[in-house]
Amino acid sequence: MARVEVVMPQMGESIAEGTIVKWHKKVGDDIKKDETILEISTDKVDSEIPSPAAGVLSEIVVNEQETVAVQTVIAYLETDGDVVTKETSKETAPTSEMPKVTAESESVTPEITVSKGRERVVPVVQPLERPVAGRFYSPLVMNIARTEGVSMSELERIPGSGTDGRVTKKDILTYVEAKKLGAITLGAPVSPVPTPGAPLERAVGVVAKEVEVAELRKKYPAPQHDILQMSTVLQKMAEHMVKSVHTSPHVEAIHEVDMTNIVKHRNQHAVEFEKKEGFKLTFTPYIVDAVVKAIKKYPLVNSSVEGDKIIKKNFVNLGIAVASDNGLIVPVVKHAEEKNFLGLARAVNDLASRTRNKKLTPEDVQGGTFTISNFGVFGTMVGTPIINQPQVAILGTGAIKKRVVVIDDAIAIRSTAYFTLSFDHRIVDGALGGMFLEEIVQKLQNFDTSMKF
Amino acid sequence: MPVSTEELKPLRTTPPVLSNQNRVELYYYMRLTRECDNAILRLYKQGKMVGGAYTGKGNEATAVGSAFALKKHDYIFPLHRDLGAHLVKGQSLRNIFLQLLGRGNSFTGGRDGTAHYADPSLKIYGNVSHLAAMIPVAVGVALASRMRKEHAVVMSYIGDGGSSLGEFHEGMNMAAVMKLPFVLIIENNQYAYSTPTSKQFAAQRLSDRALGYGVPGITIDGTDVVKVYEACRKAVDRARMGGGPSLIETITMRMHGHSASDDASYVPKRMVEDWERKDPISRFEKILTNDRVLNETVMLQMNKKISAAIEDAVQFALESPYPQGGDGAGGVYST
Amino acid sequence: MAVMTYIEAISKGMWEEMERDESVFLMGEDIGEYGGAFKATKGFQQHFGEDRVIDTVLAEAAIIGAATGAALVGMRPIAEMQFADFVTCGFNQLVTNAAKVHYRWHLSVPMVVRLPSGGYIHGGPYHSASPEGWFFHVPGLKIVAPSTPYDAKGLLKAAVRDNNPVLFLEYKYLYRRIKDEVPDTDYLVELGKGKVTRHGNDVVIFTYGSTHHQSLEAAELVSKSDGVESMVVDLRTLCPLDKELIFVSVKSTGKVLIVHEDTLTGGIGGEVAALISEHAFQYLDAPIMRLASLDTPVPFAPPLEEFNLPDTSKIVAGIRKLSSY
Repeated sequence: MARVEVVMPQMGESIAEGTIVKWHKKVGDDIKKDETILEISTDKVDSEIPSPAAGVLSEIVVNEQETVAVQTVIAYLETDGDVVTKETSKETAPTSEMPKVTAESESVTPEITVSKGRERVVPVVQPLERPVAGRFYSPLVMNIARTEGVSMSELERIPGSGTDGRVTKKDILTYVEAKKLGAITLGAPVSPVPTPGAPLERAVGVVAKEVEVAELRKKYPAPQHDILQMSTVLQKMAEHMVKSVHTSPHVEAIHEVDMTNIVKHRNQHAVEFEKKEGFKLTFTPYIVDAVVKAIKKYPLVNSSVEGDKIIKKNFVNLGIAVASDNGLIVPVVKHAEEKNFLGLARAVNDLASRTRNKKLTPEDVQGGTFTISNFGVFGTMVGTPIINQPQVAILGTGAIKKRVVVIDDAIAIRSTAYFTLSFDHRIVDGALGGMFLEEIVQKLQNFDTSMKF
Repeated sequence: MPVSTEELKPLRTTPPVLSNQNRVELYYYMRLTRECDNAILRLYKQGKMVGGAYTGKGNEATAVGSAFALKKHDYIFPLHRDLGAHLVKGQSLRNIFLQLLGRGNSFTGGRDGTAHYADPSLKIYGNVSHLAAMIPVAVGVALASRMRKEHAVVMSYIGDGGSSLGEFHEGMNMAAVMKLPFVLIIENNQYAYSTPTSKQFAAQRLSDRALGYGVPGITIDGTDVVKVYEACRKAVDRARMGGGPSLIETITMRMHGHSASDDASYVPKRMVEDWERKDPISRFEKILTNDRVLNETVMLQMNKKISAAIEDAVQFALESPYPQGGDGAGGVYST
Repeated sequence: MAVMTYIEAISKGMWEEMERDESVFLMGEDIGEYGGAFKATKGFQQHFGEDRVIDTVLAEAAIIGAATGAALVGMRPIAEMQFADFVTCGFNQLVTNAAKVHYRWHLSVPMVVRLPSGGYIHGGPYHSASPEGWFFHVPGLKIVAPSTPYDAKGLLKAAVRDNNPVLFLEYKYLYRRIKDEVPDTDYLVELGKGKVTRHGNDVVIFTYGSTHHQSLEAAELVSKSDGVESMVVDLRTLCPLDKELIFVSVKSTGKVLIVHEDTLTGGIGGEVAALISEHAFQYLDAPIMRLASLDTPVPFAPPLEEFNLPDTSKIVAGIRKLSSY
């Protein structure tokens, strides 16, 4: 048995309601499919209404002379079949005869890649106070002020050369330039200081070309010189590094991170963790966890560039640079964004042990979207890693050391490290790079030390 | 000799003189059309229809008889009241109902309704709501077809109301000047919505306009399926031979309102009663029964087949899902 | 490489496409033996025959409708409107049929409608139309408006090969007034791509058609007199607009002047301005300015026409106003 609805039909495009003139059937009557069961009247037309199904009229909801909106249920039928009351099936459509057209080809809101990066950035920057009445600042001037860290009070002191003394783009850029040159004293700049030196020059010419040993011997006689063959891994590394510095204008930003809480947490749980999980708790999962969270906030650093398009990855495959006997290998934690702390720790350990045991599969080292290089394990304090193409940023983590720092004008001993973000300035600018790195720093410094395993 | 309904299949080619089997086929397609229209009205009154419901009661002989004169590779530009022409050209009932109900798997994917679809495989190009607007397009198809030496004919339809639009004149005149393989059927069904022909044109007959275009024109009884076929066949043959276009006015009656929400109270009762006696289907039924090509058994068989086919198509369409919201967001441009 | 006029480049483009593809054909009023009101198709009928260069009846709806029908079944017609003004008679065919075919039927209508557009020729209200605004709002149509012989040939050929109805605006004023080196090669100019025709960091001018030349001239004048450097962008295709180029140009200048010959209200400039304020607001250093014809029909007498249409001196004033803002 099934219950079938009888509804008030829409008799005309503009018709919103209908009146029941007469019920031809009583409750309990047998009704054939398409047999007339009632008469209705609307503003446009009067009509006899055929039954939607065969069965017994089980309930009349709307009585004669009553007016209801179209599509209102006016009666119910009991039928033999398992008819669904309304054919509002929501199943997925079967293959249609006309090829489906996706909306993707014509984006509704075209986005310019440059502005997209900006849009993600702007909301988190400390907003400027509203301009005081008197002088108008254009959106561009406000924007430059924000990204260059020019406060409202500074802005108001900049002389304007535009209409009615307005500060023009040129005016503020001149001011910012002067500020950078030290002509004006300022607080900490928002944008990171670019690394001096030209990585391009350094890199040019370092390509692993095959050369004859005999030829080289003439120039480099034994035993003063040894001539060693570059391993495949080394050759690949050389190739990738050269390609990367050719492709991406590298900029490095370095932030200091207070790791005291992390060190404490790790020391507290190290023994218990190893007992439970069967491997050592390292700092890597803490850093990986912070990086994944920061990427979620600033997804543009987790992308690649193809021609004039940016490919933003909506998943995080985190590469972790590991030194092996043969050279640099970067195994990848796939879908890091789906894993919790423990999941990350296990994945990192699994990759590290398989790297040591030479059990990595080709898939293990492919598909990375962002890379972490922990050169701190070698004691390095500050390093400038090269981006792992086609990614657009890489995080280098320096050694954690106890240092004397000033907190609230008091001297304290804290475990700190320097983190470097090398980023591709084609699409990641100083503001975004700096904010992303600072997000990692904040995530680590504010780590929830109550977390248990 | 009665013909079994098993032998009925969509038209491919027909001889100039109709055989008994052809005549039964004509009858079958008219019946099928009428029953489809009835099913559409039922769906409408049951609140299952999307948008309006436009039927062609009274027009079956014109729609079926005219399309019957075409070959498979001929083009047809039917109107919303020419369901029979769609069916004769080979369109499936399932496709018709999917289209009427705006389903995702219809020809237009729910982007357009009623008979506003195109099926290039059957060379059917539906109408748009601006009634005469497709006439120049059909003329362009005739031009392209001739350029490519396809030996095809383009048949297009218009109503008495649509004949007042400028595109009727522009298209017809261009086709005449260029001697294109084009046949235009004017379905004069007495009313354009509520406007009677007396307020639509002052000429005695719409086919008189043919004189002004320098093409043959004829007015015929649009409820006599055989007469419609014969007139159209002549025009189609002439067009195919390079003789240029023709204008055929078929006199019919729109036996319902403009749409299902129109009670047609402006039509005099007497007029409806008179036309009821000229119903194209019952008239032809009598002739075929007298000629003993149709009998009770065959008709019963036929009705069963028609009901089953319609039931299947309606259920299939009702159970087919609507397109999803975003499905209509793109595809404006061809790549 | 040959030096040719704007109209010669259009003819050359059509000729090459007709040689290349048998499905390309021409239809229009007086285009056959006579060679067209502007002689764009001079010699075509003699070479390609009456079947492919069709003299039609004087009926724009029939011309555009028949082109639509022919395109619907696989031909590639090029229909000529004698003057862009007369496309209004075929408006229904473009808007109701050609534009909506692909969306509704998923069938293509590859056709080009050539529209001799624009004023500065004392043609009066019925021979000076800039028709882009009428169609810019209609999904399904593409609109191109070349301003140089090079672009005219490349865009014409690309329009013929495009699978959509393309309105091809050609500027009568430019027909025989500008000459350019045009390669004999089979090159295309991609639809939907604008072009930076002058570099500068102070102001960007977005324009197309006849006013592109005025804008270049004005930019040079202001550069010499005031040292203000204007970037000039020839939009070339109006639908679809090259949004990326627009945004990038705004970003590098911060001040925007939009110049077109069509009337101001509801013109292309309004949409360009809206796009910029919606997507590139943060790069603006001044209000977006538009310079267009007065909201009147194009008048007949020379002083009236000159007063109502944009010209170089008005653009110079616009650049100055913006640069000093």
